[in-house]
Amino acid sequence: MTTPAKLDLAAPPVVKTIAQRLLVAGVVFAIVALAIAFTRPDEFYHAYLLGFMDWLGVALGSMAVIMIRHLTGGGWGVVIRRIQGAAMRTLPFLTVLFIPLLIAVWQGRMYPWAMPLGAITDAHIREHLDKNRFILESYLTQRGFFLRAIFYFAIWNLLSFLLSKWSKEGDSPTARDNTQRFKAVSGPGLILYGFTISFAAIDWVMSLDPSWISTIFGLMILIGEVLAAMCFAVFVERILVDYKPMSDLLKPDFVHDHGKWMLTFIMVWAYFNFSQWLIIWAGNLPTEITYYMRRLNGGWGYVGLFIVIFHFAIPFAILLSRPFKRDIRKLFWLAVWLLCMRFVDLFWIIEPNFSETFRVTVADIVVPLAIGCLWMALFFSNLASLPLLPLYDAQAVEVLEPVPHHGGT
Amino acid sequence: MARRDPIYGIMAEFDSAQALLDAAKKTHEAGYKKIDAYSPFPIEGLAEEIGFHFNEVPLVVLIGGLIGGISGYMMQYWMAAVDYPLNIGGKPYHSWPAFIVITFEMTILFAGISAVFGMLALNGLPMPYHPVFNVPRFSSASKDRFFLIVFSSDKKYDPADTRKFMEGLNPRSLSEVPS
Repeated sequence: MTTPAKLDLAAPPVVKTIAQRLLVAGVVFAIVALAIAFTRPDEFYHAYLLGFMDWLGVALGSMAVIMIRHLTGGGWGVVIRRIQGAAMRTLPFLTVLFIPLLIAVWQGRMYPWAMPLGAITDAHIREHLDKNRFILESYLTQRGFFLRAIFYFAIWNLLSFLLSKWSKEGDSPTARDNTQRFKAVSGPGLILYGFTISFAAIDWVMSLDPSWISTIFGLMILIGEVLAAMCFAVFVERILVDYKPMSDLLKPDFVHDHGKWMLTFIMVWAYFNFSQWLIIWAGNLPTEITYYMRRLNGGWGYVGLFIVIFHFAIPFAILLSRPFKRDIRKLFWLAVWLLCMRFVDLFWIIEPNFSETFRVTVADIVVPLAIGCLWMALFFSNLASLPLLPLYDAQAVEVLEPVPHHGGT
Repeated sequence: MARRDPIYGIMAEFDSAQALLDAAKKTHEAGYKKIDAYSPFPIEGLAEEIGFHFNEVPLVVLIGGLIGGISGYMMQYWMAAVDYPLNIGGKPYHSWPAFIVITFEMTILFAGISAVFGMLALNGLPMPYHPVFNVPRFSSASKDRFFLIVFSSDKKYDPADTRKFMEGLNPRSLSEVPS
């Protein structure tokens, strides 16, 4: 294997600076968020769930994309593996961040099934739970919620631990080739991820309205997560590309691939969302339509329309352009935009459960920002701790070879 | 039939993809615009070197897709709301959500067909006769040789000068292509 003798793959110093500044911003936002938690606890928990799902998505999605790369191969994945690895290694932190949601359940807030029947404000949900007692007795229980959460986090942390441990070990020239071990974990890992995130989405988000079910709901959350992860990787590679070593490693071909992934995930996201909506619209059954009745009336419909246009139609049309996908400086802006749209989409999924008319609280902005800044601070310090390229990966050669002089961009 | 130039162009033969790339680059830089290259497999960057930057297939596909999508939607509208209105589940005759799936499929179908036929048409296929095959050695372009041709229709083309220039590219062989 050709390994250039003196290649400095350490992250540029700017990464540490960013991490420090984000930590400061995160602490400031967290103090405001705490103030909200004590003065308006309900608004705080609603916003907390939103922020938690948003940033958990980036971490879990990154892990999923890493596993896809281990199975399929490709230089596009090697060049961002350390970025996505740093995002994946925030999972222990996210596990700790889950505790407030346990407290919410413990205190009987937010989730109707965690409250005494009389305290449920929505008559439809109260009636449904009253009529179908088995829901409260067998599945949506505090104990079940707690145990299942432990199970999901155990699996995610284990996968993340193994993948990053072997990746780290591979940084020595004498290390054994881990390709086969990565493959052996990634195949079952992706299947496990699909199941666990589906059940987690049911537990944490769909159960906000226990009277409504959708079999594709977990997949809608899943595809949102991998989309967010790919956008986040593009966001970070744009920051790094101004500095060595990323300026030498990131070729237009890889950026093109990242753009293609974004386009693919947007299309799958639209496909899942449209399928669910079309089936519910066509069936027109009272038990199913409640979800969209809520989300298309009382001002929420405008948010829905905004999502259709700015989460799907316009990004889709822009991403059809080949030159756009190959230019990291342009793709960056769309990635940032889509990260915002992921937030709006989750907002539209989660918040209408708590209010029939459109409402944004200060908490809805501050709490996700607090989680986000702290999460990104940890992300950037993770990023600084390892070389930016897994140099001894079998496919690192593809990333290291210089851009051919004739290569048109 | 219009009188043709008896000479179609001058063709140089090379041993490797890199030699062809270098030669194409030099020829293009020397000001020859009407050139073409032939290789047994796709070579990355070769299209750019011979000055080929835009291909029109995406445009054809876009137009085909639009035609397919619009006609798919109109077809369903006409059937469900005009020709044979049927009350389905109490929904309006013109229920656009129900039309989306077929509209999408028609878009894909027409875009796909336009891609294939647009590509063939833009390549000028089918083409029963092409002068390059008059050079016997050209048959190895589909095996292990790489060819570069300067067409006689190029403004800068001059039988003697161009030949001299191409000899400077160190080709394995050089042949005049009769048309």
